[in-house]
Amino acid sequence: MRFVTSLTILALLCATSCNKVQVPTPEVNVAQVKEISLDPNAAVWDAVSLHASKMILQDLVEPRLLEPSTSEVMVKAITNGSEIAFRLEWLDESQSDMPGPRHFIDGCAVQLPSKVDPNVPAPQMGEVGKTVEISYWRADWQAIVEGRADNINAIYPNASIDHYPAEAKPLENNPQAQAETAARYAPARALGNRRSGPRDQPVEDLIAEGPSTLSPAPNAVSKGKGVKTLKGWAVVISRPMPAGFSAATPSQIAFAVWEGSHIEVGARKMRTGWVPMILK
Amino acid sequence: MARVNNWQLGREMSYWYPESRPQKQFAAVFDTNKCIACQTCTLACKTTWTSGKGQEYMLWNNVESKPYGSYPLAWDLNLLSLLDGQNWGEENGQSVYKGSTIFESAPAGERVLGWRPEDEDYAYPNVGEDDCAGGIEHGASIDIPHQMAWFYYLARICNHCTYPGCLASCPRGSIYKRPEDGIVLVDQNRCRGYQECVRGCPYKKVFFNPMTSTSEKCIACYPKIEQGLSPQCFANCIGKIRVAGFINTPDKAEADNPIDYLVHIKKVALPLFPQFGLEPNVYYIPPIHVPTAFTRQMFGPGTDKAVEIYRNAPNDPDLTSLLGLFGSTEAIMRKWKRVGDKAIGMDENGKELVNVPFKEPVHIRPAYDKLYQITRTNCP
Repeated sequence: MRFVTSLTILALLCATSCNKVQVPTPEVNVAQVKEISLDPNAAVWDAVSLHASKMILQDLVEPRLLEPSTSEVMVKAITNGSEIAFRLEWLDESQSDMPGPRHFIDGCAVQLPSKVDPNVPAPQMGEVGKTVEISYWRADWQAIVEGRADNINAIYPNASIDHYPAEAKPLENNPQAQAETAARYAPARALGNRRSGPRDQPVEDLIAEGPSTLSPAPNAVSKGKGVKTLKGWAVVISRPMPAGFSAATPSQIAFAVWEGSHIEVGARKMRTGWVPMILK
Repeated sequence: MARVNNWQLGREMSYWYPESRPQKQFAAVFDTNKCIACQTCTLACKTTWTSGKGQEYMLWNNVESKPYGSYPLAWDLNLLSLLDGQNWGEENGQSVYKGSTIFESAPAGERVLGWRPEDEDYAYPNVGEDDCAGGIEHGASIDIPHQMAWFYYLARICNHCTYPGCLASCPRGSIYKRPEDGIVLVDQNRCRGYQECVRGCPYKKVFFNPMTSTSEKCIACYPKIEQGLSPQCFANCIGKIRVAGFINTPDKAEADNPIDYLVHIKKVALPLFPQFGLEPNVYYIPPIHVPTAFTRQMFGPGTDKAVEIYRNAPNDPDLTSLLGLFGSTEAIMRKWKRVGDKAIGMDENGKELVNVPFKEPVHIRPAYDKLYQITRTNCP
């Protein structure tokens, strides 16, 4: 079954981004290029070697995912010396990018150890004293970056709203008062929860030291872009090159994929273990 | 899982975290017999806290008509159908729950037994819930008191449970119970909107905000609580059905604490679905006109006795006087006492906050007014 899935993805990749079938490599080989492109369909990705990463259930901590969904993710990687970019592609026929009750969002993430060291952290989001860095792309953020409005009608087109206090008549010529009033009814935004506000990037930077410790990274450094393919998603995630990663000192990388229509969110995800990452 | 004591079940139970009771536990008593479903509480809450983008369908406080009303749709029936064997037994003269709680019946891979409401389940609060469910036969009439036709209003907020299902469900520890007053809050800076709390709260009192991608819930108006004032839905209640305060465990019940008196001493106020296992801290005086076969499932085995006690209130001046203090002041009454025909609400130092006569003087006005030489219709 997995073999058939691999062939399907390879055929799709061939149809979308290359002219010949590539044989997957057992590790993630990072190709050195002049310029990085965030476009998953850019030509720079065509000649890059492909890694097919088998995915496993996150079934170690509650809430667990008990029924498998995405079986593998196809990975390519490039660097221009200062930035490193990963192109992830996987099968997911449904497009889940609308938040709401019982609506969950398609997404993917790459995870790197904070330190390039042969003694890697636990692959399940690191461990105490051994931090991992995670760059997380979400389909709804992609839609927002591409112009979907930050209002309820973008999600529920027929919604009828009587009144928002922030849009009261006396405030209409006072943007600051409007913003302050809106913040009163959006505590997550008022507190600066980076997950909750309007976005200029579809990727979020996070750090973790084990399950349930996921936190915003000190700085937002990752960028990315995802496009819906005929049968799934193709996503590029770019971030600064890990310090110490070189041709002489390989590192490790891990991946996760969430299929929103399969009620995958948070810990309910398909993931990989560590995969060797080598600079070519 | 840890073993904790749940006095509402009369036994220990399994919970995700060890027992850790707050210094004080916010609690409330709602008298369902007084509620007229005017929804003033709902609007008081809505205008105070949830008028923003993404909060459109969110009602931290709602009032639903039982038996058919529910918001979100079928919040109670869905969980009841998931829970097996909700039987109560008796040991040493005390009711003991023999079934499984939502924690004890959590499926493999889950933290609690739960379910997820969908958009549509939030879309029609109160719509159709008080319509006739069938045709009326020609010549049919209602006998008073009627047995077969009944309904009542159930006002609901977060129960600020001792063992919150939402808190147990959150894999990130984004939900916490304040040690100073037991109020349960979602940390809006830490929440990542996984909606595990929405799934895990059996009362469905945590709501997902699609604009902020975080989950939000009733905060018991904690800025008011910190000033010794009742939450907005209490202070604005037209029917004066609510009283806010703090509850002790039964072994430490104090007769001069209004909540303790109603819950532990008189046992006239009961938890909502105690069999879920959360030890909820909003207590209800059950409706006295509803068949207890229905309300017993909702309020537990003490329902019949509570109805009997409430019906006897006219002969019980202490209970009558305390019921008269409901809604009499915005301040939280930490203590109360009856002096003659007056009920007195006090702060924690015994200082009088409010003084209410619970027997109002009756004036009978003659139909013919001699002074103005006029006959009046003597309507109230």
